[in-house]
Amino acid sequence: MLNYAWFIFLTPIIFAPISVIAGKKRKILAGVLASLSITVSLILSVIVWLSIRGTSTPIYQTFNWFDNINAGIYVDHLAVVMVLMVSFVSLMIHLFAMYYMKDDPRKNTYFGETALFTGGMLGLILASNLLEFFLFWELVGLCSYLLVGFWFFKPNAASAAKKAFIVTRVGDLLFIIGLAVLYSLLTVHNVASPLSIPYLINNAPAIASEIGAQNLTIIGLLFLGGAAGKSAQFPLHVWIPDAMEGPTTVSALIHAATMVTAGIYLIARVLPLYANATPLAGEAVLYIGAFTALFAGTIGIVVNDLKRILAYSTISQIGYMMAALGMVTTFGESVIGYSIYHLVVHAVFKALLFMTAGVILLTLMELRDVKKMGGLWKRMPITISLMFIGSITLAAIPPTAAFFSKDTIIDVAYNYFIMNGSNIYSILPWVFLVVGALMTALYTFRMFFLVALGKPRSKLAEEAKDPPKIVLIPLMILAFMSLTLGLIQYRFYDFIVPNTTRVVVPMIIEYTPLTVVAIGVLITIGIYGTTKWQRMHLEKNPVYRLLKAKYFLDTLFTRVIAERVILPLSSGVSRLEKGFSISIEGAGSGAMGFGGILRKIENGVVEYYFVFLIAGVAILMLLLEILGGI
Amino acid sequence: MTFFLYSNILESLYPEIFLGFVAFGMLLMGRRVKNWMVYTTISIMALLISMILLILLDSGSQSFFGGAFVINNFGLYFALILITSSLYVSFTAGSELKHDPEIFFSIFLFVNIAMIIAAFSLNLIFIFIAFEGISVGTYILSAHGKTRRNLEASIKYFFTGVIATGFIVFGSSFYYLSTGTFNLVSVANAADIAKPSMLLALILLFVGFGFKLALVPLQQWAVDTYDGTKNPVSAFLSSGTKVLAFLIILRVFLVGFASMRTDVFYLFTIVSIITMTYGNFAALSENNLKRMLAYSSIAQAGYLILVLTVVSGSTSQFAFTVAIFAAMYYSLVYIFMKGGAFMATGAVNKEKVEINDLSGIGLKSPAFAISLGIMMLALAGIPPTAGFFAKYYLFLSLISGNLWYLAVIGILNSAISVFYYLRVIVVMFRPSSEEREFNLSNSILLPVIIGAVMSIGLSFLIFGYPYLSGIVAGLGVGA
Repeated sequence: MLNYAWFIFLTPIIFAPISVIAGKKRKILAGVLASLSITVSLILSVIVWLSIRGTSTPIYQTFNWFDNINAGIYVDHLAVVMVLMVSFVSLMIHLFAMYYMKDDPRKNTYFGETALFTGGMLGLILASNLLEFFLFWELVGLCSYLLVGFWFFKPNAASAAKKAFIVTRVGDLLFIIGLAVLYSLLTVHNVASPLSIPYLINNAPAIASEIGAQNLTIIGLLFLGGAAGKSAQFPLHVWIPDAMEGPTTVSALIHAATMVTAGIYLIARVLPLYANATPLAGEAVLYIGAFTALFAGTIGIVVNDLKRILAYSTISQIGYMMAALGMVTTFGESVIGYSIYHLVVHAVFKALLFMTAGVILLTLMELRDVKKMGGLWKRMPITISLMFIGSITLAAIPPTAAFFSKDTIIDVAYNYFIMNGSNIYSILPWVFLVVGALMTALYTFRMFFLVALGKPRSKLAEEAKDPPKIVLIPLMILAFMSLTLGLIQYRFYDFIVPNTTRVVVPMIIEYTPLTVVAIGVLITIGIYGTTKWQRMHLEKNPVYRLLKAKYFLDTLFTRVIAERVILPLSSGVSRLEKGFSISIEGAGSGAMGFGGILRKIENGVVEYYFVFLIAGVAILMLLLEILGGI
Repeated sequence: MTFFLYSNILESLYPEIFLGFVAFGMLLMGRRVKNWMVYTTISIMALLISMILLILLDSGSQSFFGGAFVINNFGLYFALILITSSLYVSFTAGSELKHDPEIFFSIFLFVNIAMIIAAFSLNLIFIFIAFEGISVGTYILSAHGKTRRNLEASIKYFFTGVIATGFIVFGSSFYYLSTGTFNLVSVANAADIAKPSMLLALILLFVGFGFKLALVPLQQWAVDTYDGTKNPVSAFLSSGTKVLAFLIILRVFLVGFASMRTDVFYLFTIVSIITMTYGNFAALSENNLKRMLAYSSIAQAGYLILVLTVVSGSTSQFAFTVAIFAAMYYSLVYIFMKGGAFMATGAVNKEKVEINDLSGIGLKSPAFAISLGIMMLALAGIPPTAGFFAKYYLFLSLISGNLWYLAVIGILNSAISVFYYLRVIVVMFRPSSEEREFNLSNSILLPVIIGAVMSIGLSFLIFGYPYLSGIVAGLGVGA
């Protein structure tokens, strides 16, 4: 008997083709069907949540897929939280997308693809086996590719989709190598189902002693590579800003709330492996996360494209989640709670911010340069108020939810410093995260002030106006949640990991992030709250240029690695292949000619046939005589 | 006393007897009723009933006439496949062959009787008689239609077929000379066998039986005959009778010549390599659709007989089981993918169907084009079609039997064959320069769609491996 939890991810997948086909004739139907299927998922998720809320026994149902791979579903508290978050946020975004995409001629395809994506994401969360996990991982990657390139007639969108696909492929390659290593090491030890998630998380110490902590570290680093690709961590973050070429609802759904957090979920899922590996595995996660949090934040300060600012902020915020997970060796499984809490809060407010951005872009005809906006608060008060709520949440100003989630992570980083020898090396994460918080405040309010205050700096901005209130309801729900989610902080932690360690830090440390944020807000008010920024000429400033060029990473990837290394290599290979294909063509025409000669045997004259038959049989007999040796 | 009619022997022959009654009844009806639909319905019903009778009466394990007629699940499996193939063909046969339907269908049923008998026979005389029943029946079937082309095809088939018959008789007598029996199972003691005459028997019987399977150098009739006969007949000749010939070859050369495994191995290694290569290369540049399919069915026969090389050339029990399983699986898939492809050629209203005549059909009838495309993919052995799994098991058995070089040759040949199979798909979806009329009536479309569905659906038969590998022993030969 199939558990109903299966239908959490099966429903949207089943509905995806239906909504494409049904939406062909009646356009409205596509959005309705897709939203309906996700509503079903949400309801089922709530039922699952209610049923396993009180117990610690997960829902676990599998069937034998092939050989020693069992596929199925595994729903524990972590998974159920993720499922609730994904189906809820996805539903909100679908509802909003019915307005946002209302004039698109291919909107049935759009809703089919987003429904498929949601199903894939839910399947990824519920997967009970890492191989199954990987398949869904690829499925969401595919949907991301399709949706980023949804407006494929824009050359930017087409190339952005390609870039997103290729860069994440690097991570996926590392991930599947990690899977292969893990599988082959465990198969040697005759494990019944080597890649099964419950097996991995319940027997992590035994696995570590069997295959060695060193090997586990290698596997962990490879998984981290996969997670960095999907979750856009340094240095594989370069695809997300370009992916903003897709419809804004896609950015909200895939590149802010759900898919990019799949990497975090992967590491959280197999966290016991990191806990039992050598400390290097965890440290790599921590330092990459913390560094990305700061690094992406600094770029976010100088970007002018509204959606790209949000994209860099997404990278930075995921860095926080990653950093929290990295401290597993010191705090044990409690870090899952810290990380996932921020993940959920982030999904809510980032989806909100992206959707407000979507509203703005819709009325500004896809004009994305924040320097050309301005004065929108007066013209679209409801939208900008919602954006304000999103912004203060992003900047972690109390009492918004992110204040609780993010500051906890920063405080944990401080404790990490205390508990790991209080040296220059172990204080780095905390420093990165605190400075990252400053950057967050800077880019958030720079964006907000440029958008909302001052005078309109373009014709389009002058004519901006609010959309009908009814379409903003999903946004209002999200805004409400980003203000109130902070109330459930500790209950959330204990739900995910029972008896999560409470974070206690000295008073001064506790207020450091807040102070830093306040400083950031003051700076931005000074520069961007007034018209001072218009008189600043930063083009000559080397730091500005470094940031503006995104640390020359794109240049490094395209100019140096791609053009200097890969292109010559590939042109060499292509020359080789040209020779090869000429020889293949030669072989082909040779084969055709040979076939033509063979066909001459079939000349339709029966007398010849007899001769051929007898001659053939005679030759066969001779051969047998020689070979068989009677 | 027991009546003969109630004896065990007769009971197990009820399916054949039933079909015989129906066939004679049809001949009598033919004086009054000329409607082809009546005969199609009757023969479909009769075949279905005989199938049920077969399952009910012949599913045990019995042996009659001193081991000449052996009933077991292995034979039953093939008998059912053969009847399935006939059923499949009779869906479209009636509407394609509108005149004298009673003669066509009654002979068709007679052929089926012979096929069922052949599926259970382990005696060269029995096999010879049954085989001749099929041959003579198919000579008439292929002449049906009475155009000059049909007659020419039938005459060529007949002339070469008669020679093959002579070879069977000759070979059987040599077999008797060297072993002292016509029964295939009883030749266990290798020392008693007079070797030189046994080798003659091997070659002569190979010619006789290999003829129906169109192995090189006995292949020439096949292309002309498939091309010249009506589509349902070509479909039947290239699917049903081929599977039967394959079964008989399995029986004769693996059971009857168990004492000469080396010779059997070399014979079939050489023949299968030549056959595969010949068929695939000749098909490459062929523009006539039916001739291309004919060449491809020669190549497919080359793959099929690789089974014999595994069984006779390797000592691994696993390879043996997989090989026989592959034979059983391939035969079943083959009747749908090849039979369906031949019937699909009926969509073009021409006597000589060029591949290019199919251009534009993809836009006219996507269902037809996709179905034929699936069958082409299955023939080429591309996953996830059943054709892929059939080839997979075949090559798996070769590799596990340490005959990897044959597997390499087989796979290279498959790679070549992809070219001409995919060419059909490409042509179908190419817009055509001129306006064409296609015959897309139900009697064409239905078998094609069935063929495509089966070409995909039969891939689930791999889950039948545990059961089917259990009845492999029914062939009567150990590794």
